[in-house]
Amino acid sequence: MTRARAPLRNARTRLVLASVVLSTVMTALVLAVVYVTANRTIASETRSVVTAELAGLADEYERLGTLGLMRAIERRSQDAAERDALYLLTDPAGRVLAGNLLRWPPDIEPGSGWVRLELMRAGGDTAVPISAASIRLRGGERLLVGRDASARQQFDRALLQSAGLALLATLALSLLTGWLLTRLVFSRLSEIARTAGDIVSGDLSRRIPLRGTGDELDRMAETLNEMLERIEELVGNLRMTTNSLAHDLRSPLSRLRQRVEALTATDRPESERAAEAARAQAEIDHLLRVFSRLTEISRAEAGLGRDLFEPVELEPLARDVLEFYEPVAQEQGVALTLSGEDARLPGNKALLAQALSNLLENALRYAPDGSTIRVTLGRAGDRVALTVSDSGPGVPEEALPRLSRPFVTLDDSRTEQNSGLGLALVAAIARMHGGSFTARNLDPGFEAQMTLGR
Amino acid sequence: MSRRLLIVEDDPETRAFIVKGFSEAGFAVETAENGRDGLYLMTDGGFDAVILDRMLPGLDGLKLVRSIRAAGLSTPVLMLTAMSAVDERVKGLRAGADDYLVKPFSFQELQARIEALLRRPQDGTEETSTLTCRDLEMDLLRRRVTRAGREITLTPREFQILEFFLRRKNRVISRTMLLEGVWDYHFDPNTNIVDVHISKLRRAIDDGGADPLIETVRGAGYMMSDD
Repeated sequence: MTRARAPLRNARTRLVLASVVLSTVMTALVLAVVYVTANRTIASETRSVVTAELAGLADEYERLGTLGLMRAIERRSQDAAERDALYLLTDPAGRVLAGNLLRWPPDIEPGSGWVRLELMRAGGDTAVPISAASIRLRGGERLLVGRDASARQQFDRALLQSAGLALLATLALSLLTGWLLTRLVFSRLSEIARTAGDIVSGDLSRRIPLRGTGDELDRMAETLNEMLERIEELVGNLRMTTNSLAHDLRSPLSRLRQRVEALTATDRPESERAAEAARAQAEIDHLLRVFSRLTEISRAEAGLGRDLFEPVELEPLARDVLEFYEPVAQEQGVALTLSGEDARLPGNKALLAQALSNLLENALRYAPDGSTIRVTLGRAGDRVALTVSDSGPGVPEEALPRLSRPFVTLDDSRTEQNSGLGLALVAAIARMHGGSFTARNLDPGFEAQMTLGR
Repeated sequence: MSRRLLIVEDDPETRAFIVKGFSEAGFAVETAENGRDGLYLMTDGGFDAVILDRMLPGLDGLKLVRSIRAAGLSTPVLMLTAMSAVDERVKGLRAGADDYLVKPFSFQELQARIEALLRRPQDGTEETSTLTCRDLEMDLLRRRVTRAGREITLTPREFQILEFFLRRKNRVISRTMLLEGVWDYHFDPNTNIVDVHISKLRRAIDDGGADPLIETVRGAGYMMSDD
């Protein structure tokens, strides 16, 4: 058990980790894309506004001259709605003429394009980050238009902060969901592993507990339980067959031994020895028949020969088998009837004929003189049902479930004709065809039914 | 000229058993112990029939029969096997064997089947419309049977059994051969059902104390003979 649990736990950790890593990486990717795109959009927006403003002011200068431009700049610098807008106009020597900046940045040549720099605002005491563009006007004056970027930087920081928080939340959430989900699955898996462990240690009757939810895991557990049921049954049958086989072969083999002993005794008359030899041969033939029956049963149980399935018309097949047994039935004064609807199904013709012949032989063994054996073709749910009923004495109620087990006979006298394997073969053939075998008592009589998958 | 038979069988006891039987029956018998030798002898040709074990060292029976059929050899092959299952039988016949017999078998059964295989080609060539045995006549076209001129009414199944006998006159027919040939059943019924069918047929054709046409061959089966 400890060996079985450790890898399960590892698998669970790996699964949780994988889910956490995966969702975190995905969230980080999404956030990064949002961040970069937002930054780019804002920057290009600012740039186009500033460029347009610069062109507008240059226009003003052309129309109204230096003074008109100075007035326009003063007006705009005072505008409360545009607190982030920055302007600076200087004479060709760099002396400030108008604007809300303290002085012309020393290392900026007018017309050098888009720049980022730090400057003191008029009336401010610290330098602020600025993005700006500048031109030299026709009269040699320098004009700079820009935007205070400190608000942008704050927005940037806020964006990064919330992204970090989102990432942390994702991590926590995926850890939680991963843990919950895997707990759901792995607790069921541990149950299955525990059951399997118990079965390995010898308790074949253990079954996986069901939750009754009808979900996939429940259904899987159900299927596994059915499998376990079948295995238990097969193992049980095998155990019993082995026991019965050992028991059943002992008596004919010891009889055989006596016969051979009699044969080697030289003082016996020739005629007696010939009779002994014939009996010995019959004994051997019986043993061989038992063996080939057993082989047939185990082959049918294993589903061998399913590759030879072909479409079978059940009615003509049944009619042939009935006709085959008709003379024997006549001799016994028993009538055979066939009724019901024809059915087509995939099957092995030879084995189906053999199964029906076994059922008929069984019925003929017990049917009283003057009675009728009825063979009926019909439906049982979505399967085809082949039923053989007689008005014989039936079987004790408690023996019914045992009937299809190998070596079960009702009177403990297994004879050459009744090896106790006939109905076992019928059941195996029914199972091979996706069906089952059932038997019940009628009032009066006995009914054996094999169902077959369509 | 005696008929030539090849036996490919690895178990020395079974081989000796078969060889002894067929030699006494007047066959010229040759043997091989494994598949390769068997194939070698077979392709040399000249055999009237081959008895081939299903499980052989070297080259197994199924492969062997498949390869000789692929090579265009049509020598009748009877396959012997310890596997009684129906599907195994079908596989053997599909591979190209002409008949299939499950071990253990009685020698009479094997001999009856080999005789049947040896006569087989003639069945197809004589396209007769009447079959006869002594004073019994079967008209296949009108599906009428007469015995000494008197008409006999038979069920379709009885007709089929009788035809099976008439086509294999003077040869032993085992119960298994009847089961397979007439009903196409490949299982062994627990009852003496075949005997019951035969005695019914006998009553029909020997009606009125005529000479019995079908005789019982002890331990082997039945035979319908001309004399």
